[in-house]
Amino acid sequence: MATNSIQNSDPKKIARWTKFQLPNRFKRIGLIICILAFLLMLGRKFAEGPLWIKPLLSNIFIIGLLMVSLAKEKIEDELIVNLRSQSYRLGFTFGVLYAILVIPLINYVVDMLVSGAEEATFEANVFEVLITMLAIQLLFFHKFKKAHS
Amino acid sequence: MKNTLKVQRAMRDLTQEQLAQILGVSRQTVNSIEKNRYVPSTVLALKLSKVFGVAVNEIFSLEADD
Repeated sequence: MATNSIQNSDPKKIARWTKFQLPNRFKRIGLIICILAFLLMLGRKFAEGPLWIKPLLSNIFIIGLLMVSLAKEKIEDELIVNLRSQSYRLGFTFGVLYAILVIPLINYVVDMLVSGAEEATFEANVFEVLITMLAIQLLFFHKFKKAHS
Repeated sequence: MKNTLKVQRAMRDLTQEQLAQILGVSRQTVNSIEKNRYVPSTVLALKLSKVFGVAVNEIFSLEADD
């Protein structure tokens, strides 16, 4: 079992999991999925529909972002692997900080303005957190690549 | 860490793109190593040593603050 090999700390088997990536074409496929999901989310704002559509579209948007994040570069060399690793570290760190500090504050202010102080909450939903993490990782990765070009 | 990659490349009349193709990396990686913005792995350093036919020490050397 794969999980057993991770538990047994076999470096070669772990590397097979940690080095998993999608082919380069998934960058474009992921982007198209994100755009379509986003457009459908916007369209849903102006039309009535079942309640399950919003979380489904959010999931599809996140899957699109994940595809872009996991897609290989045309030349996936050691510099790119290094930059990717740095961007994941920053994406994770900023994502966590954003989730516990910024998103709840924004939600609280919006709730206060819309529903009043009594109903305002500091909640951040899972979609906001995941989208933030992935978006920050992709932004940093793009910025790092530009710095080395 | 400093390096003589640009000199070694110029001595063999290789462009960054040509060297990158030989090494199987991107031109950006060669450029970043030349400009000391990226320290290559041992594997890549040994590949460079093999391509230029010189010891790794002749391409890369430590600086006082390393």
